[in-house]
Amino acid sequence: MKRFLARLGPNLVIVLTLAFFVLPLLAMTRFALQSIPMVRLGWSTLFDKWSLSGMTAAFDDDKFGPALWLSLKLAMGTALLTLMLLIPTAVWVHLRLPKLRPVVEFISVLPYMIPAIGLVAGILVLKPHARWFLNSDLSLIPFYVVLTLPFTYRALDTGLRAIDLGTLVDASRSLGAGWGETLRRVLIPNLRASIISSSFLTVAVVIGEYTLANVLLKRTLPAFMQEFRGREPQGGYGLALLALAATVMLFAFLGLLTRPKAARRSATPVSQTSTTYMGAAG
Amino acid sequence: MTGVSFRGVRKTFGPTVALEGLDLDIAEGELISLLGPSGCGKTTALRICAGFERPDAGTVSVVGTEITALPAHRRNMGMVFQSYSLFPNLTVAGNVEYGLRTRKLPKLERARRVGEMLELVQLSDLGGRYAHQLSGGQQQRVALARALAIQPKVLLLDEPLSALDAKVRASLRDEIRRIQTELGITTLFVTHDQEEALGISDRIGVMSNGRLEQLGTPVDVYRNPSSAFVARFVGTMNELPAVSAAAGMVQVAGRALAAPASSSPAGTRLTLLVRPEDLTVALGDQGVGLPGTVTAATFQGASISIGVRLDGVDVLVTSSMASSAAPVVAPGDRVTVGVDAARSMAEPTT
Repeated sequence: MKRFLARLGPNLVIVLTLAFFVLPLLAMTRFALQSIPMVRLGWSTLFDKWSLSGMTAAFDDDKFGPALWLSLKLAMGTALLTLMLLIPTAVWVHLRLPKLRPVVEFISVLPYMIPAIGLVAGILVLKPHARWFLNSDLSLIPFYVVLTLPFTYRALDTGLRAIDLGTLVDASRSLGAGWGETLRRVLIPNLRASIISSSFLTVAVVIGEYTLANVLLKRTLPAFMQEFRGREPQGGYGLALLALAATVMLFAFLGLLTRPKAARRSATPVSQTSTTYMGAAG
Repeated sequence: MTGVSFRGVRKTFGPTVALEGLDLDIAEGELISLLGPSGCGKTTALRICAGFERPDAGTVSVVGTEITALPAHRRNMGMVFQSYSLFPNLTVAGNVEYGLRTRKLPKLERARRVGEMLELVQLSDLGGRYAHQLSGGQQQRVALARALAIQPKVLLLDEPLSALDAKVRASLRDEIRRIQTELGITTLFVTHDQEEALGISDRIGVMSNGRLEQLGTPVDVYRNPSSAFVARFVGTMNELPAVSAAAGMVQVAGRALAAPASSSPAGTRLTLLVRPEDLTVALGDQGVGLPGTVTAATFQGASISIGVRLDGVDVLVTSSMASSAAPVVAPGDRVTVGVDAARSMAEPTT
């Protein structure tokens, strides 16, 4: 009995935690994918009228395509600009200014402390003087670079800490490579996992960002979803569900891409061995 | 012809003086070791030669051409580092080929050179492996092949053996020397391990506090140290408290011994520095020499190591077993320790 109670405690916590996360998702799924009025959602209608039409309703809207395309452009632009700015900065700080590392780290977490709405207030002050810039859809990119900084800098910083940066750079330079070549042929390949993580995190944040896009009147995917949910509540949640699934798949893919090289290589011989064994047995 | 020349090189890091007016000439094809304790400036000298650090003053030249301001990637120097420095994203062959690609050599020429280098370090079969699939010794051999593939004017070795175990260290040390002699490449080797330096070098530069204390052949540095620091740092040294006496004598443990060349006035307190092989042991009190008791005797094949407690001080004596006069002693035996005055050194005690 004592052992049963001892095991029950942790299992109960796990069940409650799962319920906390999964139940709202299940509720959302039912709302989005069951074509019955909300007041009739209950145990008796659990298996009635399931359909994917709620999920695909947004695809028929003319504004969906451009909004998705803009969000993808912003995500790619943000990821690219972030890497162009952060890789040289992080490398330089690690190599030449290690005492500045805590300062840069502090700056990188500022967007955590100052919410997006604070950034919006700053942009509003700037707006009358920089309309030429803010009128462009892509003007969101620099602000998104700031917003994603806590994730992106940390990912790159972790990668840089994991390699013997100083020795690799010195080795490359002693072999005749300049800074550009060292970055291209040594650092970027060895920071691959960090760069992929950083980029995927950027994409995930940008694809879901609403506040800045709404204030600057940009028709990004989250802005479209908000507006679409007003018109078509079921379709809006269906789209949100789809976005969630896409994000989960994105991170699963990230996990595959950033698996350590050794793990990826060891996977091949195992399958070869089993093939040989089965062949021999046959 | 001088391969590498340091002239008045000075380098500081904040308030710390890492190098103070280093003057050093390395002849073409010569292997010089810079030997010294941590923080003596040996690695700074090497990094300045490689172009990773800029000296505050002084110049560095290679074969008569000053390169002080030349960036590292234009110096054509091969370097092997203390820590494993192979590029993890490249195979062994890719690592060796790296410097050849930066030089934009044709593919066939690159492949030929990679093959030659891997053969030179006896790793021809491992071209397709990655760094994490190699042992430490193999990694350093690949690093050596990579450094040599670019046909550098100078080879720089920054404690390349320090991360390896003793057996691998000894074999790789011999291999480095073989390859260096075979290629006749000017080499600067930095180490804190005296055995390595004595075993591999044409000449050794012993450094302390940013200064070159002595530059000479291994035998010269070992047998004729220019200062008490060099004497203590290279090899094992016994230290006997002494007082200078008149007429070229010193008093040690109440006995008068012939003094080493010293200008200390009578009554000066000294420390007598003598190597273990410059002491002799004879059974019983011989009257001349220092009486003591054997504390340990360790047979080492070609030699025997004897620990003797004199009047308040322990000394170590090494005797060759080849001699018919090799002492046969056991712990507890009363013995007399003889000192070869001509081979000892006296330092005033501060």
